[in-house]
Amino acid sequence: MQGDLDCAVNPQVAELAELRLLHLADSALPIGALAHSFGLESLVASGVLQVADLPRFLDGYLEEAGLVEAVFCREAHGLADANAGKFATQRWIELNECLSARKPARESCAGSAALGRNFLQAVIALGDFPVLRTALEIRPTMIHHSAAFGLVSGVIGIEENRAVLAFLHQWIASLVSACQRLLPLGQTEATRILWNLKPAMIQTARRSAACSIDDACCFTPLLDCGAMEHPALSTRLFIS
Amino acid sequence: METILAAEEAGRGIEGASLPLGGVQAALSVDFARDPLTSSTILAGSHQEPPLKVVRAFALEDGSALAHLHNVSGGLLGGDRLALTVRVGAGASVQLTTTGATRVYRPREEARTVTQLNEISVGENALLEYVPDAIIPFAGARYSQRTTIHLASGAGLFWWEILAPGREARGEIFEYDRVEMRTDLVALGRPIAAERVCLEPRRRNISDLARLGPSRYWVTFYVCRVGLNTQTWLAAEQRLRDVAAGLTRSGEILFGVSALVAHGLVIRCLARRGRGVLGSLHPLWNEAKLFLYDREAVPPRKVN
Repeated sequence: MQGDLDCAVNPQVAELAELRLLHLADSALPIGALAHSFGLESLVASGVLQVADLPRFLDGYLEEAGLVEAVFCREAHGLADANAGKFATQRWIELNECLSARKPARESCAGSAALGRNFLQAVIALGDFPVLRTALEIRPTMIHHSAAFGLVSGVIGIEENRAVLAFLHQWIASLVSACQRLLPLGQTEATRILWNLKPAMIQTARRSAACSIDDACCFTPLLDCGAMEHPALSTRLFIS
Repeated sequence: METILAAEEAGRGIEGASLPLGGVQAALSVDFARDPLTSSTILAGSHQEPPLKVVRAFALEDGSALAHLHNVSGGLLGGDRLALTVRVGAGASVQLTTTGATRVYRPREEARTVTQLNEISVGENALLEYVPDAIIPFAGARYSQRTTIHLASGAGLFWWEILAPGREARGEIFEYDRVEMRTDLVALGRPIAAERVCLEPRRRNISDLARLGPSRYWVTFYVCRVGLNTQTWLAAEQRLRDVAAGLTRSGEILFGVSALVAHGLVIRCLARRGRGVLGSLHPLWNEAKLFLYDREAVPPRKVN
């Protein structure tokens, strides 16, 4: 990757890429992530999910859904190869269509796509990125958050593994944040949960490196049901 | 480095020793067509290899054909490699079911994973209703299923699959080794649903809240009709959600209904016990069929 070469030649480039990664993976990035619970709100409303369950729940969620997102993030990162000359438009479409098909709950699928499009738009507004502009202008394909994050990371020269880890971290941080608004979960405990999940994120990222899109398995039927029934909740804090 | 799977494929153990792999390799292929003279659907052709069998297609009142998929060996045995191909021709209407639960037996330790490959195509304005009994993986079972369904313009589909935790009545719950299920649903060449599930109860706790939670039975029910617009599917989702709400029993059985990205919707059902699962699917199937086809779903007659 051109970005990797640049980093090797000029340490300042690496430092800049690192700072950009921190920025893009910050939950304060205004892309709308705070508006989605991806089905957690339904599980909390039904009394199934409680504070004491969160560490184990999120660990399992990383193992299952996290693996799929990580694999797609990694695959999209590969599309940013500057040496390839031309952006692989068809592969980008296929990637996002495949990920849409892997998300059975309508609201969660739409939420992931809204974040992905917002994320791409936010980055495009920061500089001249022809590949990202091409990726955004393809319609009517949904652009999912993990894929957009991977592509952007590749374009701005962030190494693949770091990009996947950063994505997983902000992805789980958003869910923990949602739980803070849904459950009696204080800041200290939320911070502890996120802190303790870091080894699981590393494990998931490693597994994703050895996994193809076709092989990435996910089994989260209880959360699927919650996400599917979210439109039926009478009072809702979240879009999904 | 050679993987265990590659060694299995080559008929050797990972240490290179020859293994008695056992099992049968068999294919069942069935072609259904609409008879232009009678407008009824007929079994136009089949290729059958034991133990897989379709005896005949029964004519239903609405012109559909009902066929029962038999496995005369009584279940899936270690090393079995089975393939099912179903082609539903343009305008045809078919109901497929099993004669009973699909039992996946405990294999000999050295036997290969049982594989079931399903290739399904539903032609223009055709309809396939696939309403089988549950898959029951026994203790120690290793099962891998891959299903690809292609839907043409105007094609309809009602397709459910029920995965049991094991022989519930024996208290055999999640004692299988591995169950892998891959499903691809493709409409007009575009993926509209894809599942990749790999369950290994000894490695990952299936009863975690991130997975099945307190439920034991897992059901996926796809309802499709290619060409209908998003608003129609949102209306169908709401209608089926209302039906599902009446079937939900807290702590026993719950449902989720959601429109797919296009051309269909998916219903998830999680249940603690298997007894009421099929009975709960029928009202949903019926409502969906009324909504999409303006006629009632007719549960298949069983031959046993």
